[in-house]
Amino acid sequence: MTDFHVHLLVLVCLNVVIVSGLALVSRTGQLSLGHGAFVGIAAYAAVLANMKAGWPFWLSALGGIACAALVAFVLGWVILRLRGVYFVLVTFAFAELVRLALLDWATLTGGANGIAGIPPVTLFGFAFDTKLRFLVLALAFAAASVFFLKRLATTPTGHACDAVAENPALAEASGLNVHSIQLQAFVIGCAIAGLGGVLLAHYVGFVSPESFNTALSINVIVMLVIGGRQSVWGPLIGAAILTPLPELLRGAVQTQHIFYGAALILILHFLPGGLASLAGRLFKGEEQRA
Amino acid sequence: MDLSLLIGQAVVNGLVVGLLYLLMAVGFTLVFGVMRIVNFAHAEFYMLGAFVTFLCVTRFELPFLPSVALTFVVAVIIGWVIEWAVLKPFRHDELNGMIATIGLAMILQNGALMLFGPDPQSMPSVATGVLRMGDLLVPNSRVYVVLCSAAVLLAMWLFLRTSRTGRALRAVVQDIEIAQIQGIKAKLIYPLGFGLGVGLAAVAGGLMAPLFSVSPFIGAGPMLKAFIVVILGGLGSIPGAALASLLLGITESVAGTFLSTSTADILIFALVIGMLVVRPSGLLGRPE
Repeated sequence: MTDFHVHLLVLVCLNVVIVSGLALVSRTGQLSLGHGAFVGIAAYAAVLANMKAGWPFWLSALGGIACAALVAFVLGWVILRLRGVYFVLVTFAFAELVRLALLDWATLTGGANGIAGIPPVTLFGFAFDTKLRFLVLALAFAAASVFFLKRLATTPTGHACDAVAENPALAEASGLNVHSIQLQAFVIGCAIAGLGGVLLAHYVGFVSPESFNTALSINVIVMLVIGGRQSVWGPLIGAAILTPLPELLRGAVQTQHIFYGAALILILHFLPGGLASLAGRLFKGEEQRA
Repeated sequence: MDLSLLIGQAVVNGLVVGLLYLLMAVGFTLVFGVMRIVNFAHAEFYMLGAFVTFLCVTRFELPFLPSVALTFVVAVIIGWVIEWAVLKPFRHDELNGMIATIGLAMILQNGALMLFGPDPQSMPSVATGVLRMGDLLVPNSRVYVVLCSAAVLLAMWLFLRTSRTGRALRAVVQDIEIAQIQGIKAKLIYPLGFGLGVGLAAVAGGLMAPLFSVSPFIGAGPMLKAFIVVILGGLGSIPGAALASLLLGITESVAGTFLSTSTADILIFALVIGMLVVRPSGLLGRPE
């Protein structure tokens, strides 16, 4: 395995974490078009706390994640009372606003130049300063987020999420607090996105407002939809397939995006459950034959 | 320059951009009203409109107004075909329909990027000189564009108010089932609604092409503003969109004169959030 393959694997793992966050939000029937903003908020907050205030990594990471969760709570509290469409529009506008604020607040964030020279992750005196060492950490977090989704799916809370997504009015009538469930999912989902952001910032060693623009939010959605929104394996499959793709289509970014767009429409049309449901169908087919 | 003049100038500029937002927002809200789909490809039709007008004027040397008219026709046809070929399965499916239009937007934007390249290009101005109103100055090219936008909006309004097809469209917006019982052919109304909506976006792009530059990325800004207008005015409400876009244009322009542009943007976003808390259905929207 070359360094480059390790690098790709790390990116796959980090994307699994970030997409898992969105999967949780989407489980309650909402789609956030500002997921990238929460990745960015946590990354910037953690990096600033770590580099400017000198907090140790674990504390600054928690601080960054808490920031993302807090912003998600305030925003979600207001807009989750409204119909789903407003949620989408406001999250989109909010993400643009965060990007502008990061650009504008140059004294703190470095503006368009971003922040370079972010130190590698250091936990208990051990520095994850090579790609291979970091891969271990990234794998652990990716596994943890998939495990979290898998566990959640079998708990009453998970079933409540599904009920809310399926039919909010019926869920409300059955005694579920729709607003509270959606808000919790949004806050936790954004916190998970924040975790991904903090790790990404310390791995790449550089953040800029453009690292967290709409393109990121849309890429995350593409990964989730192509992987499968309903399945706990969706984020894993989506991230694993779509993260290395740019490397295969290197030098043809436009072709890649046209491919993404076409894949998105085709999957929605022919395979609404995403690639994860394809595996399910195959297995079911085999069981029936046996 | 004294303060009242400064504010007056800002208000006039605000009206100009307000009309642009209105053209975008009316098309957007029309598509939503008919199909219940949030059209994320709206920005790309603005961009395509700008390119079609740009090509007509510079390559084929047509006059400006026929170019814009041609742009509208081309956009309606493309919109019709796309609705029929791509979006048909997603009518009234808010979530999947919206994701499908994100895919559409990616295809259109990157297609334009491959065809036209990323560099901004500029179009010759449609008029020279300035119009003086007292101490206020407005470039004639802007006056020209404002008059054209107002004419397009008026035509669209008359079409929706008085023509048979326009009334059928509005009936579908209000209640699709009752409309179908009355004999309105939804098969034709859906592609028509989408075509007209994106046609308006394309006209906005075409009209603004001489004022701003033309590149594959120009759609994002106006679309973001159209989103804000639609949230402020109430999704699906055209009078609400009219009020909100003029308010937004003027607020932005006045706030931008005295504060930095991004501070003005942050202020407006705070306004939108405040609005959602106090009156979730928008200025003139119907409560759900």
